[in-house]
Formats: sequence, C-alpha cells, structure tokens
Amino acid sequence: MSAQRVHLTLNGSPVDLPTVPDDERLLDSLRWRAGLKGTKEGCRTGGCGACTVLVDGESTLSCLTLTHEVEGSAVTTIEGVADDPVGRRVRDAFRRAGAVQCGYCSPGFVMALTGLLKERGTSVAMDDLLEELSSNLCRCTGYVSIVRAVRLAREANP
Amino acid sequence: MPSFTLVVPSTPDEAVAALRIGSAEGSAALAGGTDLLADLEDGRVTAERVVSLRRLPWRTLDWTGTVLTIGGTLPLRRLELDPEVRAQFPALFHAVRAVGGPALRHRATLGGNLGRAAPASDLVPVLLALDAEVDLLGPAGERSLPVDRFILGARRTALAPGELIRSVRIAEPRPSCYLWQRVRPSNDISQIAVAVAYSARLEAWRVAVGGVLPRPLLVPEAAEALGGRSPTDTDLVRAADAVARRAPIVADKRASEEHRREVARTLTLRAVRAVERGGRS
Repeated sequence: MSAQRVHLTLNGSPVDLPTVPDDERLLDSLRWRAGLKGTKEGCRTGGCGACTVLVDGESTLSCLTLTHEVEGSAVTTIEGVADDPVGRRVRDAFRRAGAVQCGYCSPGFVMALTGLLKERGTSVAMDDLLEELSSNLCRCTGYVSIVRAVRLAREANP
Repeated sequence: MPSFTLVVPSTPDEAVAALRIGSAEGSAALAGGTDLLADLEDGRVTAERVVSLRRLPWRTLDWTGTVLTIGGTLPLRRLELDPEVRAQFPALFHAVRAVGGPALRHRATLGGNLGRAAPASDLVPVLLALDAEVDLLGPAGERSLPVDRFILGARRTALAPGELIRSVRIAEPRPSCYLWQRVRPSNDISQIAVAVAYSARLEAWRVAVGGVLPRPLLVPEAAEALGGRSPTDTDLVRAADAVARRAPIVADKRASEEHRREVARTLTLRAVRAVERGGRS
C-alpha cells in the first residue's frame, strides 16, 4: 500500500477518498481532500484538542490518527454536528453562552463535549466533565463562557 | 512520497512476520499511534514500514478468577470506564486518567504505552506497583516478563525484533493509589508521580516512582518501611523519606530536583493514607 483509496461515512454520507498517502493524518484528509475546513489544526501533537472530531461517535484527535486507520468508520466533523440531537444541543449552548471568542478552538470544544455527553450521558458530574474537557485549550482564555456553555448543554433537555 | 508504508495484517502471526521484513530498525508497530505518530513526524523515530495492529483480536478485557488480562490494543478509555477495573485497581484508573484527554484515550493503548517506554509514563509506575506481567508474542513464540524486567530504560524495552505486546496481566486486585504533580490535569506530563499498592496475599506494599530517569522505578526501601497493612506514622515517614532520598530524581525544564523530592515525599504520604482509607487522597 502506498496511496490507496479510503472509504468513510463522512457527516452521514458515504465518501471515497482516492489516493490517500499512507502517512496522511485524518486532519489533513478532512481539510484538504474533503474540503471541510471547520476542523482546525492547533499544535498537531495532541496537546490542544482543536482538531477533535468524532470517529464512530467517539471523540478523536484527528492530528494523531492516520486516515487509513479509520477506513470504514463514520466520521463526524463540526460541519455535521447539528445532524445529531446531542451535537445540536451543544452547538446551541455555545451560541447562547457566547462561548466563542476568536473561534479557533470552538469546533474542537463542541466535538469534544458532544462526544462526552453521548458517551457518558447528561448525568455525568459537572466536575468530571470539566476535568475531561481540560484537554482542550482556548488561547483567548475564554473559559468562563465555555464553562457556561457546558452547563447549558448538560442541563438542556435532549 | 509518503514517509512510510502502512501494512495492515489480519492476524498476530502476520503482524509478527510483517515486522521481520527488512532491517529491525526499519519497522514500527502502530497501536493507537498517539505517541508514535508525533515522533515519526518530528523524526525522533524513523521507519520505512509501519505495521498497524488494528485488525488484531487484542481489544479485550478479561477476568479469570482474580486475574485481570488487558489486551495489548485495548483503548485506554475502555479500561477507564470499566467500573470493575476502577473498583479493583484504583491506581490503574488514576493513571489512565492522567494520560492525555478522552479524545487521546479513545485511541491510545496500554500496549502502546509500554512498548514506547516513555520515561514519564503514568502507566508504568502503576504497573510496577501492581506487579503486572507483560505477555509477548514474537518469532520465537510466546513469553512473559514482569514489567520491571520489560522496561529497560528511557524508550528501551526487552522487546526482541518482531515481538509484540499481546496482553498485560495483573494477578490480584490490590488496594492502590497513584498521585502525580503537574501543571494541567489533562495533556500534561507528570513532574513526579508515586504509585503505591498493597497485596493482602503477600502482606506487603509495593511503591514505585515516576517522572525520574531513566525510567519509572520501584523503591523497595519504601515498601519495606511500610511493613504491614496499617503502617504507623513513623513507618510512613520513613517510607516517604526513602522515596524522596533514594529515587533518581533530577531537575529539568519542568521542575527543580529539590521541588520534586519534596513533592515525592508528600505524594507518598498521601497515597498510602488514601489506600488505607480505601479511596483517593
């Protein structure tokens, strides 16, 4: 294998990505092959969470994932998050809380929180949620409104 | 031109064979990839061939009596969210939570963490304290090693060319605790960390320290000082002194040696008392 086809379900639709190099990251395939620029590159070393997407419903760092490794999986990016009821609730909570400053970290935060609420339910303790979200960084340090959005998303009825 | 060729074998034997093609240094095994891919990109690791383990049937978590067997490619997140693991091996839960964040732990694996042997690994000190065994599969067949003999140094293991970590076994549930000092709770590296575990069967403690060079280490003097199930205050202070004085603690950009030694002392005191209370400090 050196540059083969990868089949994915991307935001609900089947997608064939032709000639994906073996060493290509999911982050780069999403941005430069699928044209989905909502997923952001931050540190590219797994330290900031800006590139978080869902792979089969689970939050995943797209910068540390080879595209070939998720062959056949369902990938959800910020562009498709509102098709999911939990994702829509999280997106709306960020909007209502004004939890967006420069916006660069926002897609990663929305995907990470969506993944957490889908995985652990809304009964998960607020402290626990915040500890888990601390792997996402906001360089504007707009955390107060992000925490408000987390609270809104957790309390809103599904 | 891609920097490496990805190979995706379907069986363990095919994976072992794939790692043996070409020179020993030419191949690297990819489990979750969260550590390896960053090193490949930075050139700290070079490999012509990367052998993906994703199709191997090792994403397992099995109890046989009191023995817990963790498959080498089980994502850490599965270990973390298992209520029985959390109840029976609290230190393992604490250490898994210390690795990256949830999005990283959905892919990162126990086998990958051991195989990559980072000196600041959060999992290795706990596996030392829990006296875990590493089950290997390679060209010469199967063998098992205690973690203490598997980890040889910074980024150095006992893995022979072509050998893979099939599973990690822990023989008995142990009251245990893992405590660390760092700047951020997630996605940070522990400056210093202490793992303690008590074996009711052996009536003995094991104490290990992480964030030291060249690798996480057991501190037998501390375990001996603790004696039985309920150490006195004097025993506990002697154990904490042993960790602070004897562990090969050094300074680096993250913290001074003096700070680390002082924190190691405090973490040891807190971790042992937490085990006695049956919870976290």
